[in-house]
Amino acid sequence: MKVSAALPTGVAALFFDSARHHRELEEKLVARLLESGFSEVILPVIDYLEPYEAMLAGTPSVTRRDELYRFVDRDGEVLALRADFTPMLARLIAPRLAALELPLHLFYRGDVLRYQEERAGRERETYQLGAEILGLEGEEGERLALRRFLELLAIGERRRLLVVMGFAGALDRLLLERAEGSDPAALAAAVMRRERRAVRGGGDALLQVVEHGVPDDPGELGEEAAARLARLEALCRELDEAFPQVDLRLDLAEFADQTLAGELHHATGPRSYYDGLMFRAFAGAAAEPVGGGGRYDTLFRQLGADVTAAGFSLSLDRLIARDGDGLVAEDGR
Amino acid sequence: MIRLALPKGRNLEIALAAFRAAGIGLDGLEVKDRRLRIEFPDDGLEVLLLKDWDLPLYVQYGIADCGVVGSDVLEEVDGDLLTPARFADGHCRMSLIGREGSMPGPGEQVRLVSKYPLTARKVLADRSWGAEVLKLGGSVELGPLLDLAEVALDIVQTGRTLRDNHLVELEVVRQVQPCLVVNRSAYQLYRGELNRWLDRFEAAGVVES
Repeated sequence: MKVSAALPTGVAALFFDSARHHRELEEKLVARLLESGFSEVILPVIDYLEPYEAMLAGTPSVTRRDELYRFVDRDGEVLALRADFTPMLARLIAPRLAALELPLHLFYRGDVLRYQEERAGRERETYQLGAEILGLEGEEGERLALRRFLELLAIGERRRLLVVMGFAGALDRLLLERAEGSDPAALAAAVMRRERRAVRGGGDALLQVVEHGVPDDPGELGEEAAARLARLEALCRELDEAFPQVDLRLDLAEFADQTLAGELHHATGPRSYYDGLMFRAFAGAAAEPVGGGGRYDTLFRQLGADVTAAGFSLSLDRLIARDGDGLVAEDGR
Repeated sequence: MIRLALPKGRNLEIALAAFRAAGIGLDGLEVKDRRLRIEFPDDGLEVLLLKDWDLPLYVQYGIADCGVVGSDVLEEVDGDLLTPARFADGHCRMSLIGREGSMPGPGEQVRLVSKYPLTARKVLADRSWGAEVLKLGGSVELGPLLDLAEVALDIVQTGRTLRDNHLVELEVVRQVQPCLVVNRSAYQLYRGELNRWLDRFEAAGVVES
């Protein structure tokens, strides 16, 4: 009998050089994290679904309920395969926090599994490596997370490394003011898709964000957000010097759905995954980011861990795919 | 050099007219061009000519930086692409099609045929029909005509095919138009150039503004 060697769309087996390349990169990244004082945590692949139920209801940028591989175990418990490390880590570290000295620097690695429609380019299983910095107050934790992220990203010979930065809630004031009488979630989605026509009705400042990433007058964002943007611009300049191989950009439109204002949550979802700095990295020409991260204190608090939290994850599969085979052109293709 | 994916067929005509109206010449490129990859150094462009349904994938993977594709294909493919502009020309409708008076009522069990099964499921999600969706590759009108299905979901341009086959538009569910789509990574890299394109498209009145 002939047995097929086919795999479902979105999963892959690695043999020989591919496997070696994967492990070599993984070990380099892990070595850098260990040098930087991070400790490894090993998390299970199967978990209860129930603790995360509230988070799954429409939260932007968190795994959607319909992406989860979930099933009823023989004892009747609803279980899910791991689709995201961070919420599981938050829940499991919570009861241990009181006995631990902060800040904590943790990292993890392993597969995450998310259901995707069966078509080319959709990953159902991807190997992630990520890190969390817990208990650093103020913006120190998120800045350190970004710096560590860039250090890992810079390992290797990748060309056209691009990191886009923004922060949660940056556009809340503009969305609330400009969407008066209409749907702020629809306006936020139009900003994310850079739909000029739909955004034009939301005023000049939103249009400038779509066209240039930031408004001409940061004051339009409100006092607090404008001050945060100024600090982020300063950080960007500082990191530009430290990581010349990475093209750092500020683009508030990229994160328009990450809102903090309670008034927006009824439209965009109950809450945002992130509540501070956000960043997303692209390598080569592909549209899918190779990694990203930011700050998510609220997420940790919701899962019982009363601690500041910032972190990031990288997809090793995508990083390796973007490394190419020496045929990569100057423009990243 | 920006790599632009253009669709073969009707949308190529609309895209070419729009680019030329905006002063981006694409000299020598014709609607019936059989070349697949053409460089336009004066415009700073390389054009790939692709099938509609393949185009979003090429842009998603970064093989092309941007492209022009119908909103019907874009919705069905469900990719994570930016859509900074919708072209003013080339509008058509996505409609439920069937025999006169055959619109199913609440609670009825129906079979729907379409080239757009994902979109069809979205359309059906807020209807109280028990529905089965079958994907067809083409000539979708034959479904309701030969009783393979009660209704079809398909693109209607002039409505002539429907009239010739004694079918009607039961309901318009989407307005469809060609869109400029851009890869997220390319948008960051070529933002300045793309903004200039968009300004010129708007000044020429070839995109909705």
